[in-house]
Amino acid sequence: MREALKVGISGVRGVVGQSFTPQLAASFAQAFGMYAGRGPVVVGRDTRPTGRMVEEAVIAGLQSVGNKPLLAGVVPTPTILYLTRALGANGGIAITASHNDVEWNALKFVGRDGMFLRPSEADELFDIYHQQDFPYVEEFELRRVVEIEQPMQGHLERVVEYVSGDAIRSGKFRVAVDCCNGVGAIHSVPFLRDRMGCEVVTIHDRPDGRFERPPEPIPQNLEALGHAVRKHECVVGFAQDPDGDRLALLDETGTPIGEDLTLALAVRQVLSSHARGPVVTNQSASKVIDHVAAEEGCDVIRTKTGEIYVSEKMMEIGAVVGGESNGGVIVPVVHPCRDSYTAMALVLELLAETGRTIASLRSDLPKYELLKQKIPIRPSQAPGVLRAVRRHYENEKLDLMDGIYVDFGDSWLHIRRSNTEPILRIITEAPSQSAVEKIAQDARSIIEASLE
Amino acid sequence: MKTLRVSSFGLRGHVGTSLTVPVVQNYAAAFATSIEGGRVLLGRDTRYSSPMIASAVKSSLIGSGCEVLDLGVCPTPVLQFSTARRDAAGALSITAGHMGMGWNAITLIGRDGACLDTNSGEAVLDLFHAGDFRKATFANQGDAVECNDYFEPYLDRLCEVVCVEEIRRKKFTVLIDPIGGAGCVFLKPFADRFGLKLVSVNAEPSGYLAREPEPRPRSAQHLASFIEHVDGDIGFVLNSDVARVSIVTEEGEQASEEYSFAVVADHVLQRQPGVVVTNTCTSRMVDDVAARHRAQLVKTRVGQAYVVALLADEQGVLGGEGSGSVVLPLFSQGFDGFLMMAIILESMAQSGRRASELLRALPKYHIIKHRRPCDAHAAYHAVDSIGGRLSEWAGGTKESSDGIRIDWEDGWVHVRPSQTEQLIRIISESTDRVRAEQRADEIAKMVDHEI
Repeated sequence: MREALKVGISGVRGVVGQSFTPQLAASFAQAFGMYAGRGPVVVGRDTRPTGRMVEEAVIAGLQSVGNKPLLAGVVPTPTILYLTRALGANGGIAITASHNDVEWNALKFVGRDGMFLRPSEADELFDIYHQQDFPYVEEFELRRVVEIEQPMQGHLERVVEYVSGDAIRSGKFRVAVDCCNGVGAIHSVPFLRDRMGCEVVTIHDRPDGRFERPPEPIPQNLEALGHAVRKHECVVGFAQDPDGDRLALLDETGTPIGEDLTLALAVRQVLSSHARGPVVTNQSASKVIDHVAAEEGCDVIRTKTGEIYVSEKMMEIGAVVGGESNGGVIVPVVHPCRDSYTAMALVLELLAETGRTIASLRSDLPKYELLKQKIPIRPSQAPGVLRAVRRHYENEKLDLMDGIYVDFGDSWLHIRRSNTEPILRIITEAPSQSAVEKIAQDARSIIEASLE
Repeated sequence: MKTLRVSSFGLRGHVGTSLTVPVVQNYAAAFATSIEGGRVLLGRDTRYSSPMIASAVKSSLIGSGCEVLDLGVCPTPVLQFSTARRDAAGALSITAGHMGMGWNAITLIGRDGACLDTNSGEAVLDLFHAGDFRKATFANQGDAVECNDYFEPYLDRLCEVVCVEEIRRKKFTVLIDPIGGAGCVFLKPFADRFGLKLVSVNAEPSGYLAREPEPRPRSAQHLASFIEHVDGDIGFVLNSDVARVSIVTEEGEQASEEYSFAVVADHVLQRQPGVVVTNTCTSRMVDDVAARHRAQLVKTRVGQAYVVALLADEQGVLGGEGSGSVVLPLFSQGFDGFLMMAIILESMAQSGRRASELLRALPKYHIIKHRRPCDAHAAYHAVDSIGGRLSEWAGGTKESSDGIRIDWEDGWVHVRPSQTEQLIRIISESTDRVRAEQRADEIAKMVDHEI
């Protein structure tokens, strides 16, 4: 099971108790400390039961090379990114395996600009790690650990300032939140109740990382939330992932609208109520985004899959909103990263300003069927499979920016290797269920044939 | 610099040069593996590097499935005492003890509160070298819980083994210099229990070493300079983890640390006869005190681990070393400075003698200690070679179980590589000051020649 370690642009992920050890975590922290240069480094984590172990290792690793750890404690990943920039730190380390199952944990590295390391920066970090020649400091140069006081305050105030708080609060919405036993179990109620004036129903709200539902906020994992929405007659259901960067929505009937539509509604709200400008998303995001942007006369720019590619492009072109199809909404004015708190605020603002329901807002959007599948694959098998797929579709309109993207006009197929797991992702979108299944089935048969 | 020393009961080195985070993590992981998870107590002193080392240790312990009770800044003897009473599988103490700034160390402690026994320690070393560590998954991951309710039970028990009421009645004025170490925050509750008027210096738990860290006459200068002005009854100089003590008398005499154990032995043996254990280079005062009370004295190698282990084998009543340390098995299994202070105060209270009188009641020897800086590998070679040349030195008897010791009627000399520092230690004792000095100087010359 040594392959259960992934080192890549999303950081360093592994199964704790196998490849992901305290020694590995400390060693990467040393490499990062050296990369970032001596100075303060923000450290935060999600609620996973292995988080404390990793945190101690990271603290020791950072201190040993002369960095000053600033501890944020158990906070959302977007808060760690926010704090890194707001506190003028040299960098940050987020200890979270995001949507991976409980046995995983990971280190994600943040640059001084509050954004995840770009691929070239990550390469430099990994070079330092592999060199294993760290500039340990002597005792008198060691810097003490500092605990950040009220780590959530700055980030959440920024979110509240961005939206029309008064309008939202006067709506007195009743909402249900599925915290996925993650950081939301600590921070979402205070946010929604005290800052957004909502009446809040929570489920999976024990902050211990022992996930009571599979951590990805995809429709099949959200039945309990749907039940809570109906039982308590909530206007919306919010489903977070364990580290609070992604958000999926359930309408007032408790039906998931699909996590790709979180971004669609957020884009609509930003473009119609806040600012017009270009929208950035990745290749796998639904064509609904193009539709929503077009209604406001705005362009959509597509990037490779991976939060940093989207964030970086947004900063480069001055985009006003963007994000990922997995429920990751990015508003650069708050902070250029995926943030479920920004997303929740925008959805509440949309409800307050339009006076409509989620189901009714969703019905404005064109109907596409999106199908996401994954096939386990060994890293050594991937290139052969991708070659076979490319040959099969060579007469179609292909984009090879990130895996293989086949554009069929009103439908598309995207096949790529996951950045985080040893799997191949197959994503298809088409106007009808039968069409999407047909495309996906074709793709699967090609892949399976090439695996034999 | 070859400064790392890995042994079966501890790890020490120079921070950043040899004592690095990976070494610390692996050593702690080896210990956690040897006890198969389980509850572990963790304490540290106030050195700048101790929190970092504590984090590294915690990561390994938690990652190996241990339940860590983190006592924070805690003197080693208090940690040892607590280990035996918290149903723990063992403990780690992070402390540089008597070493200078820039150094640090981890001491491994077994479930009985003593330094880890040799067999268990060898198992830790084997695991450390093999790099084969217990890895806990999320399901059996350990945790760390802070614990700060341990000093009261410690004092409660201490008050059972010494007569607290007699000490309280005397309202002693006591000067203590904890050298900014782990003792700092515990001095006040200690003084309150025993009704002491406490005058402390270097009592901010800063980790900054304002003086030489070994309790000895030279490091007692500050206390000695004003003890008469504040009408102090006695002064105590501690090391940074409260394992060693030297005495300053009410007259301002900076007593040799060799007196500390001798004073305690003289007091304890009169009410509780039994076997006493010390090391081969402790003052003959202790031999004479043992003889005075018809107690059997057994000697072993230098080091707490050896003294306490032999004490258990011999079912002795008291152990200690000339470096200023004492262990009382009916109280705990570690060298304990609080215990030593309490026993000396009890001795003063019960005998009605002043500190200077306690010292004067002991046989008079002159003890000279020299230190020569020397790398560990060169030190062993040098001591061996000196041993060869000393086979027939001026009619003395040679003994070489731990370094080289030569005994005469009037005294002895001992030369050995330090277990804890890059040093050769030379000790010479005689009833005649000049002779003690001559012998010490002669050995020092030989050492200088060898290195």
